Amino acid sequence: MPRHVAIVGNGAAAISALETFRAHDRESRVTVVSGEPCAAYSRVLLPYFLRRKVPYAHLFIRDAAFYRDLDVDLLLGSTVERVDVGARRLELANGGTIPFDRLLLAPGSSPVRPPIPGLEGPEVHHLWRIDEAGHLDRLFREGARALVIGAGFVSLQAAWAARQRGLAVTVIELAERILPTVLDEEGAHILQASILASGVDLHTNTRTEGLARDEQGVLRVSAEGLPHFAADVVIVGTGVRPNDHLLADHVETARRGIAVDDTMQTAVEGVYAAGDVARGPIVGGGPRAIHALWPTAVEQGKIAGANLAGARVAYTGSLSMNVTEMFGVTVASLGRFAAEEGDTVYRMDTLPGIRYLKVVLREGVPVGAIALGGPEAARALGYVRPYVRRRAPVADVEAVMAGTHVARGVTRAWAGTRPGPVNEPIRERDLCA
Amino acid sequence: MSTERDVQQTLCRMCDDRCGIDVHLEDGRMVDIVGNKAHVWNKGRLCVKARAAIDMAYHPDRLLAPLKRTADGWQEIPLAQALDEIAARLTQIKERDGARSVSVWKGEAIGFGQQEDIARRFIHAFGSPNYLSNDSMCYAARYFGYKLVDGAWPVADLENARVIVMWGANPPHAHPNMTQYITAARRKGAKLVVVDPRLSAIARRADVHAQPHPGTDGALAWGLMRELIRTGGYDREFVERHTVGFPELSAYAATFTPEMVEQETGVPAATVIELAALMAESAPRVSMYVGNGLEHHENGVNNIRAVVSLDALVGAVDREGGNRFVQPAPLRTLTLYDDVPLEHLGPLGADRFPVLYDLRQECHTMTAMGAILEGDPYPLRAMVLTGANPLLTNPNTERVRQAFESLDLLVVRELFMTETASLAHYVLPAASFLERSELHTHAKHQAVTLTRRVCDFPDVQDEYQFWHDLAHRLDMGAYFPWDDETALNRWLLEPSGLTLEELEAHPEGVTYSPLAPPPLERGPFMTSSGKVEFASRYLKDLGYDELPVYKSPEYRGTPDDEYPFVLMTGARKLLYLHSRFRNIPRFRTAVPGPEVEMHPDDARALGVAEGDTVTVTSRIGNVTIPVHVVSPEEIRPGELQITHGWSEANVNLLTHDDRFDPISGFPLMKSVEVRVTKVGAGE
Amino acid sequence: MRIVAVDPDACVACRNCEYACAFRQTGDFDRTRSHIRVNYHPAERACVPLTCMHCAEAWCMEVCPAGAISRNAETGAVEIDKDHCAGCKMCLLACPFGNIGFDSTHGVSRKCDLCGGDPRCVGSCTSGALEYVEENDAFAFKRDALDAKLRQALRLDRGRR
Ligand SMILES: Cc1cc2nc3c(=O)[nH]c(=O)nc-3n(C[C@H](O)[C@H](O)[C@H](O)COP(=O)(O)OP(=O)(O)OC[C@H]3O[C@@H](n4cnc5c(N)ncnc54)[C@H](O)[C@@H]3O)c2cc1C
Ligand code: SF4
Repeated sequence: MPRHVAIVGNGAAAISALETFRAHDRESRVTVVSGEPCAAYSRVLLPYFLRRKVPYAHLFIRDAAFYRDLDVDLLLGSTVERVDVGARRLELANGGTIPFDRLLLAPGSSPVRPPIPGLEGPEVHHLWRIDEAGHLDRLFREGARALVIGAGFVSLQAAWAARQRGLAVTVIELAERILPTVLDEEGAHILQASILASGVDLHTNTRTEGLARDEQGVLRVSAEGLPHFAADVVIVGTGVRPNDHLLADHVETARRGIAVDDTMQTAVEGVYAAGDVARGPIVGGGPRAIHALWPTAVEQGKIAGANLAGARVAYTGSLSMNVTEMFGVTVASLGRFAAEEGDTVYRMDTLPGIRYLKVVLREGVPVGAIALGGPEAARALGYVRPYVRRRAPVADVEAVMAGTHVARGVTRAWAGTRPGPVNEPIRERDLCA
Repeated sequence: MSTERDVQQTLCRMCDDRCGIDVHLEDGRMVDIVGNKAHVWNKGRLCVKARAAIDMAYHPDRLLAPLKRTADGWQEIPLAQALDEIAARLTQIKERDGARSVSVWKGEAIGFGQQEDIARRFIHAFGSPNYLSNDSMCYAARYFGYKLVDGAWPVADLENARVIVMWGANPPHAHPNMTQYITAARRKGAKLVVVDPRLSAIARRADVHAQPHPGTDGALAWGLMRELIRTGGYDREFVERHTVGFPELSAYAATFTPEMVEQETGVPAATVIELAALMAESAPRVSMYVGNGLEHHENGVNNIRAVVSLDALVGAVDREGGNRFVQPAPLRTLTLYDDVPLEHLGPLGADRFPVLYDLRQECHTMTAMGAILEGDPYPLRAMVLTGANPLLTNPNTERVRQAFESLDLLVVRELFMTETASLAHYVLPAASFLERSELHTHAKHQAVTLTRRVCDFPDVQDEYQFWHDLAHRLDMGAYFPWDDETALNRWLLEPSGLTLEELEAHPEGVTYSPLAPPPLERGPFMTSSGKVEFASRYLKDLGYDELPVYKSPEYRGTPDDEYPFVLMTGARKLLYLHSRFRNIPRFRTAVPGPEVEMHPDDARALGVAEGDTVTVTSRIGNVTIPVHVVSPEEIRPGELQITHGWSEANVNLLTHDDRFDPISGFPLMKSVEVRVTKVGAGE
Repeated sequence: MRIVAVDPDACVACRNCEYACAFRQTGDFDRTRSHIRVNYHPAERACVPLTCMHCAEAWCMEVCPAGAISRNAETGAVEIDKDHCAGCKMCLLACPFGNIGFDSTHGVSRKCDLCGGDPRCVGSCTSGALEYVEENDAFAFKRDALDAKLRQALRLDRGRR
């Protein structure tokens, strides 16, 4: 029975949901509402744009024809303020309303600005939206001085981009080390050496105390233990918060994010959530969590899209996976890479193209891994990922990581894909990798 | 301006498999080669050598003008002058030393069939019996093995087999597309047995891999015969009706107990029993293919005869799924052995190795070296050599070099300035296979294909044109009446009822007679007795053992502490063929150079690792060569392998040219006693 | 659509396919540049060719944050658009078979594109282990082999002496 489905957001989760939904249901009316005024783009590529690896035009990942072909009403530049669950309608900032039968909330998350005095002005930006990337691009003048607050995944990519564009870069991180959610200490240590070698002035365990303008109007930074210095551009990367206020009445205040079950449905019947906003099941069980990552958004969007169309598919849970290249090093990690008591840890640093490779196993089952080095690092983690996802035991870890023993039975985990004759036929179909 | 595209269908002759190819041309220039999907043999599949034919043909080092050696080095001269001078020299030498002091040498690169026969025709017309060729070392010994036992060399009917036995053969590297026939049979349930001292590429797929020590294959074959006879697993009816010598055979076989075979060959007794049982239960669908691996041994022909005898024991001769006698193509013959018999002139080697000359009219290349250097049995002073590089491929390179250097006239037809060409008085540019039009037979399919001239270079003559032009300068033009190779092809085809036009229209091959089901009633066989000969009267009359008696290789019988390793040479590799293609840059990317394959235990004992350099020394010479430490399964400890054809480490500096199989005259090349020393470790 | 089906039971690790592919990509025979790989394990005699299967639900394609991976409408091949690839390597992490490589010179991912519908690896597979077949037929040789085994077990197909 045709219905009206509304989707809030036009990012990774929303698009994936939309495509999946349309694969199941060509009849229903679909409206996509996005607060941002421009066509869909890829946040992941913003640092690549700043590095001049990707031209501005290639940031956009779907064009008007895409929505036309899928027969979707697209409302850009329309911010949703609230979801009126009872009346089943969206309330827009501009006063309008959109009724829906079923709803997907995929509004992502927003960066948080830390309470640092003086952290404002035309030089100060997050690297989150495309317009911010545009501003930063203009501020990235050779010889300019950049301050990056925070040493997380996005911040460091921004710092590398700034460095590659010829800026003098200072990174200040409050925590003891860089990339706590992406790397273990050893990995962080290796990357840190490359960061320093690239000429970035990196200070961990350091508080940014405040910013103030001098007589010339230049921002001057004061940070714990450092002489004051000037900054022509400031990138704030101190964390994000899910845009869960849209369903505020149904969100537990203690924990962020909109809780969803394994069909991506929220506590409200017919209302789904996916992507950075959703607190969902994770691989291996345990408490629901937000993996604010692109692949998770895609997977969850797929599940949500199918269920919005009534297909009834379940999510086996998200798996955190990160990969990027920064400071000339490919950095990749997967799952729970911090070893706990009783885990077995494999180190294989001698594989070609690998500088650091670690796999954590729990009772013979790989649960997480880290790899640093060349592109091979990403490939190596690709080999082990199906095992982690399926919680399948591995007999010969080294062969798996070297790619010489590619998952056989376990390859069923690779997601509803068709098997070649090497593999057994897929008996159960998972929707996600 | 638009480019003109064209596709020419012909055969690849980068090796003798002769796969059907589609050559893509743009404005007349070759740009790509892909498989001809319709061709009877390869069905569209090609090994990666095929595409490299373009690189070979357009290679910057390609010889495109005749060269004459002068005091100041090479001098380019016009083709007509070169031919005139060569003809004059040949005439002089003939007048001085007699016609038999002149020889031709035809190499593997030229091919067989009509190209071989033109060379044979030429030298006979000239009045000399001395036709030399690569067949002194390849093919002929197997031919004898089959000819002496079965009366002909049948083709293995792999596709219909229940058991395939690859004996000393590694098709993925040596006959790439034969592998797909093996696969087809295996998909229908055939078992694959591989007999090879090395874990070769084909052995990776073997159900049973028997790893005999080099040269001991005969003992394994005898052991299998004993088991088949003892268990009654042999084909009694066939043996009784169609063979001679069974009582002698079975009496001789009796000593080859599985334990004795294990002792001699290293193949476990249990494997011998298992193999015999497998053959017995699969009979007669046992399809054996014997490779070059068995030929280069002191007891080569008899080892091969023993293997061939197994076919008869299981009744696989001329049977579906076993082997099949095929009809030769009904083409005219070019040779003059009947018109101009020259046996009385003493073809070189015919006295020492009568079978070689009698059954194949081959002279013996290693005997020829003695004739050149010592005038023994008579002086050989001139040689016209085409498509061969004996300086890398014949045993005992040093002696070959000395011999060739001392010839009064050496003419070499080549694509490149090879080691052999560099010793010549005249080097003539030769046409590659893409510049020739010839008839080729695929016996397995009883089909003929005509190749095409896909490209051309001025002054580069095809084989026929060269012999024709030289013959006409030597007053023997009457033997070469055809204007060009097309006219020759037409003449050759005449009796077949096929026309050139028909062949041109069917580059995928034309069947000259459909492969009929094997006759229910077998025989008579083309042996002197009309039966399959376990014991050969013919050999006995020549003074040889009538049974394929086993002789332990010398390195096993009388080990020499000074040379504790046994070296196999000449294992085929995918990218190179004999001495060819070392100048194709991308082959070098893949396989940069020679290496000696070594078991990890030996490497450890010698204190060498992968890539380290060692000196390998035999009783006659040494080479310095990097080590490739293979997996322990791939070769046995104490055994080594070096592929031939590398000038950087020419393994034929180590091989003997005076230790022969007594029947074929084939040199000992696959079980050479050597020692190995680490370079830098001090001798 | 057709895919390159692989039959490890027929593969002899001769590496023709790797050379042919590397040649198409680079004009040279550097096997590390091939999109098809054959893993050879001497101890087990195992030869395992691995190449992109152009999965019906291609995870590399779905996850690509640049939208640079798409399916060729004609051949069905999952292809990377070099111009749009940012080089983030998400696809390398996504493929469970390591079938995506990385071109470090240009900073982009690279993978099999079925040579536009006439895969060179298959054309150079002289053992017949690779076939370019309709995906539904990709299991055919497995079926044949199974059938042969069964027939032998049941002795339906014994040769007569
Ligand atoms: C610079 C940067 C680099 C990154 N790099 C990586 C990486 O390398 N790997 C990785 O896995 N992840 C990376 N991420 C994270 C990744 O981009 C996110 O996890 C992913 O985009 C989340 O997808 P989403 O659909 O949930 O939200 P988003 O893609 O953020 O989409 C949210 C959409 O909702 C709209 N919206 C929000 N609120 C409203 C509202 N109230 N009304 C209407 N519309 C609204 C927005 O306009 C937007 O269209 C990166 C993020 C950034 C910013
Ligand atoms: S096997 Fe290779 S080299 Fe030999 S003919 Fe065929 S394609 Fe040419």
